[in-house]
Amino acid sequence: MALQKSDIEAIVGAGNVADDDATIAAFSSDQSAVAPRRPDMVAYVQSVEQIQNIVKLANETLTPVTPYSSGLNLHGAAIAGQGGIIINMSRMNKILALDEDNWYVIIEPGVTYEQLQNHLVSKGYRIMVPFGVPPGRSVLTSYLERDPVMAAPSFEHGNFLIMDTELVLPNGALFKTGNWTSGGEPGAPAGPIRNSLFRMWTAAQGTLGIMTKMGLQIEPIPQRKVFFIPLHNVACAVKPLKQIQYREIGTECLLLNNFNLAAMLNDEWTVPADFPAAPASTERFTALRSLLPPWVLIVSVNGLPRRSAEKIAYEEEALRQVCDEANIELLETIPNISGAAQLFESEMLRPWSILKKFNFKGHVRDLTFKCPVNKVDELIEIASKTSCDGGYNCTHIGVYVLPLERARALHCEIDLHCLMSEAATVNSLWLKVSEALMNAGAYFDRPYGAWAPMVYGRAAGYSDMLRNLKKETDPNNIMNPGKLCFTN
Amino acid sequence: MEKKKCIPNRLPPEVYKALENIVGPEYISQDRAVVECYSKFCVDSTGALKKHAKDPSNIPACIILPGSTEEVQAIVHVCNRYKTKFIPFTNGMITFNGPATNEPTVCIHVSRMNRVLDVDETTMSARLEAFADYAQVQADAMKKGLWNGGSPLATTLSKLSSQSAFAGVWQTDHKYGTLGRNIVSIKLVTAGGDILVTGSDTVAGVDDFWEYGPGPDLFSLVRGSGGTTGIVTEIVVKLHAWPGGKSLPEPPAGRPSIPTYADPKHDTGPAPDRYRLLWIEFPDFESELAALRKIGQACIGQGLNATGVYNAYYCSQTQDMTLERVENKFFPPYNCYVIIGGVTSEKQIAYEEAVVRDIIAETGGTFLNDAHKADVIEALAPWNLDCIRHVTGFRMNRHSYCGSNILGGPVDTVARKTRQVWSKAIETFGETYVTDRGGMDDTPFLYSSNHGGRFWLTEADVYPDQTKPELLQKGQALVVCGIINTIADKYGPGANGLGVSIEPVTSFMPEVGPNAHLLFRGIRDIFDPNGLCAPGRQIFSKQEYEQFPEQALAGLNKMRQMHGLDPVER
Repeated sequence: MALQKSDIEAIVGAGNVADDDATIAAFSSDQSAVAPRRPDMVAYVQSVEQIQNIVKLANETLTPVTPYSSGLNLHGAAIAGQGGIIINMSRMNKILALDEDNWYVIIEPGVTYEQLQNHLVSKGYRIMVPFGVPPGRSVLTSYLERDPVMAAPSFEHGNFLIMDTELVLPNGALFKTGNWTSGGEPGAPAGPIRNSLFRMWTAAQGTLGIMTKMGLQIEPIPQRKVFFIPLHNVACAVKPLKQIQYREIGTECLLLNNFNLAAMLNDEWTVPADFPAAPASTERFTALRSLLPPWVLIVSVNGLPRRSAEKIAYEEEALRQVCDEANIELLETIPNISGAAQLFESEMLRPWSILKKFNFKGHVRDLTFKCPVNKVDELIEIASKTSCDGGYNCTHIGVYVLPLERARALHCEIDLHCLMSEAATVNSLWLKVSEALMNAGAYFDRPYGAWAPMVYGRAAGYSDMLRNLKKETDPNNIMNPGKLCFTN
Repeated sequence: MEKKKCIPNRLPPEVYKALENIVGPEYISQDRAVVECYSKFCVDSTGALKKHAKDPSNIPACIILPGSTEEVQAIVHVCNRYKTKFIPFTNGMITFNGPATNEPTVCIHVSRMNRVLDVDETTMSARLEAFADYAQVQADAMKKGLWNGGSPLATTLSKLSSQSAFAGVWQTDHKYGTLGRNIVSIKLVTAGGDILVTGSDTVAGVDDFWEYGPGPDLFSLVRGSGGTTGIVTEIVVKLHAWPGGKSLPEPPAGRPSIPTYADPKHDTGPAPDRYRLLWIEFPDFESELAALRKIGQACIGQGLNATGVYNAYYCSQTQDMTLERVENKFFPPYNCYVIIGGVTSEKQIAYEEAVVRDIIAETGGTFLNDAHKADVIEALAPWNLDCIRHVTGFRMNRHSYCGSNILGGPVDTVARKTRQVWSKAIETFGETYVTDRGGMDDTPFLYSSNHGGRFWLTEADVYPDQTKPELLQKGQALVVCGIINTIADKYGPGANGLGVSIEPVTSFMPEVGPNAHLLFRGIRDIFDPNGLCAPGRQIFSKQEYEQFPEQALAGLNKMRQMHGLDPVER
C-alpha cells in the first residue's frame, strides 16, 4: 500500500508535510553533478519519535526515506534517488547541552556550524570546523560524513571528535553509542561493546540509519600566531610540510594555491547563501592572484590553556628552525596583501571565506580525495594535465591540501569551475579527472554520486560486505536506497 | 571413588586430513600434550574452573599453525565445509572463554606469522603479521624515529592483531588514544572464509595510509568483536614521531627463573632520551581527581594515569614483596604519573613540566623524588622504561588475572562510579585478593584516554588464586556483578565498552543499546554465516543463544534482580 500524505501528517502534524511543486522541486537537486530526482513529499520532523514512526511506517509500505539536515552536502546525499519521503530535520536544531566541565556539546541534526560556533565562542569555546564548509551546514551531518576539520593535522585535537551518538536504525528502533548506550549520561565514545561502533554509520549518507543526536568535543579558544610560507610549487612544500608535522608544530596547517587564496582575500566577493551562486566580476580576483605566490603553506601555532605564550614561543622557534633548514621564508603576513594574518585568525573559527570561490563562475565541481604525502605533487599534476587536455583552462583550478594526523595522509580538494552553460562539459571532464586520479592511487574515501561505482568497482570484497550489512540491517531497503554501493 | 576422566574431543579423520593437507604434518597436532597447552587462556577463569571440573570442552581437538593468510583462509574454508568450530589464537592473553563448546574445535594458532613486514616512514605506519608484538614493532620503528604510540601491560605477550579485536588500552592513551585509534587497516579472513581488508588498502591501486574504508566503516565491526568476525592475519598500525633515540635503554639481562629471586636491577632502566616520568602523590582521592582533571585539560603530556594500588604488584619482584608492600602501604595510594616527551624540542619538556608543577602546587600534591620518599621513587623505577615499552608480563606478582571491570567516562564520575561498583561487588561476594578491599575499591587504575581529559578508563581487576575454584567463581561473580551494576545504574557500557568478550552478558542485557545484542547477532551472521568462529565469545550465535543453559540464565536473572532489573526471557 502506498504511503499517503495523510499518514505522515498523522505523525508530524498537518502543515508539516509538503508535496507542492515548489517544495518538491527545491528538494530535487543540489549543486552537484548528481541527477535531480523528485521526492514524493517532504516531512518536517521535530522529534526523534516522529522519525521513528515514519521509518516504521516506511517499512510497512516499502517507502524510501531520505534524511535531510541542511541540504548542504553538495554531493547528492539528500536527493531522493528512488523518490519517497524526505525526512527534513532542519527544525531539530537545538544545542541540547554544553558541558563546560568536560568540554563537549550535544547537538541535534539541524544545528548549523554558524549557530554552534557563535554559541560556543560566546562562552569561550570552539567546535573544530572543516575548511570551506558552508556556515549553514549541519554540524552533525558534516561530522558524520567525515568532513576533515582544519585542526586535523593534530592527532589529538583534530580527529576522532565524535563522542556519544543516538540514531534511528532502519527498522525504526532507537540505538545509542558511547556512554549513552545504557540510557544514562553521555560522556565517552566507547560502546556498546565495540569500541568505536559509531564509525559504522559514518560516510553512509543515511543508508544505514538516521543519526538524531551527537556529542562532539569542543575546546577553549586558543591564543594563536599564524605563519605563512610562500612556495613556488607543491613539490617544494612536501619536505618542510612533512618536517613541520613530524615535529608536531602547529595545530591547523593548510596549503593553498593562489586561486583559492585570492578568492578568500577578495573583499569584493561575498560568501554565497545558496549553491550554485551567481558569477561575479573577476577583476579584483585576477589582480590579487598576480600579487600572490603560487602556493602558500599556512601554519597556526596555538597556545594551550596554561602558559600559552611559552607554548607558542617554543613551537615558533622550532618552526623557524625547520624553515631555516629548508631554506624557505617564514612570514607573519603575505607580502603585498594587508590583513592576511587577521583573516586567517578569523578563519580558524569560521572558515567559510573560501566559499567566495563560487563567485568565479557559479558552479564548482570538486575532486576530494586522500593520498600519501609523496603522491600529492603527482596527483595535482595529473588533475591539471587531464583538465587541460580536456580543454579546461588549467589556471582556473583551485587547490586546497590539508595534512591529516601529522601528514600520515593528505586531504586534497581540487576544484574545477564552470558556468551553468559549461556544466555538461565540465561534468564530463570532472569524471575523466576523477578516473585519472583514481588510476594514479588517489583515494576517494567518500564515494558519493558518480564516484560510487568507480570506487566500489575497485573494492569488491569491501562492497560485498557492505551490501550484506545493508541487507541485514535494512532488509526492506528503505534507507536512502540507491546510494553508495547499494544500488539495488 | 571413581576417578573422573577428562577426554578431549577429536576431529573426524577426514577433517583432520583436510587440514593437514593445508599446512603439512609438522604444523598440525592432536597430541594430548599439545592440545592441553591451548586449553586454558591467561585471563580465563572459565577455563580454570573447567580444569578443576575435568570438563574437556576447553581442550581444542587439534592445533594448527598456518604460515600465511592463504593458509588461514584454506583452514577456515575446511571448517566451514565440515561445519567444524574453530578459534583464532595468538598468545592466549584473552579475557574469558576458550572454546566454549562441547563440539570438536580447531585452534588456529598464528604464531608462525610473526614478522614486521614493513615500516613506512612516509605514511608513518607499520605492516605486521598477526603474531608480531609490540617489542618487535617498536624496535623496528624506533630506528626510523617512529613508534606505535604505546604498549599495554605486557609487551611481548600481547599481539597487536588480537589486541585490535579486544581492548587495546595502553599507558599513553592520553595522547594517542587506545589501539583502536591507531589502526590503519586490517586484513581479516572472515569467519565465513572471505578476505576483508579495511581502510584505504581495500581499494585496488590505493596504498594503506588511511583508516576509513570507502563509505561506512567496517573496521568498527571487527574492532572489539573478540574474534567472532574472523581471524586478523595482517594489521597496519599507525606510527608517531619518536624523539627518544634509535633504541631503548635496556636493564641488565640474566634474571634467573626463580620465584623468590628479587634483584631489582633487572627491572630498572632510565627513561628514554627526551622523556620524563613525573610521579606525584596526593593527600586524598579528591585532590588526586582535581589534579587529574587539571592536567588532562592542560592538554599536555603523552600519558596521564593513576595507578592506585597496582604499584604493589607491578613494581615488586616477588609475591611476598607484593603482600608486604600492600600491608605496609608502601606505595602512596593516591597518585598519578605523567609521561612527557619532547617531540617538538627539548623546550616542550620544560614547558610541560612547568605546567604540571603549577597544577600540583594548586592541588596540594607532592612530587616523588630523591628528596621526598626516595625509596618509593626507587621502587617505582620499572616504570621509567615501561611507560614506553612494557616488559613486565613476568613481573605481575599477584595471583591470576581473571577479569576486569573497565568503565569509561569523565574522570570524576567514572572514578567514583568504579569505586562504588567495586565496593558493592566485594560487599556482596567478598574479596579474592589483598588488593580488593582498601585498594581497588578506593583507588582504581585510571587512564586518561583523551588529550583534553574528556574521557577516562578505569580498571578494577580480579586476582583469585587459580588453585581455588571457589575464588575463581567469586572472581567471576565480582566481574558480572560490576557489569550489571553499571547497566542497572545506566552508567555507560561497563566492561563491555572495550570489546571484551562478555557473553552471556551481551545477549541478556537488552538495556544496552538498547538491544545491542540483536544488532550484533545480525553482524555476526554476516561474518560467520555458519556460527563457527570463536564459539561463546562476545555475542552468541543463534544456536549458542538457544542452547545457553536454563540454570545459567536463572543465575544471571538472579543477579539482574539483585540490581533491580527485571528478569529476561530467552
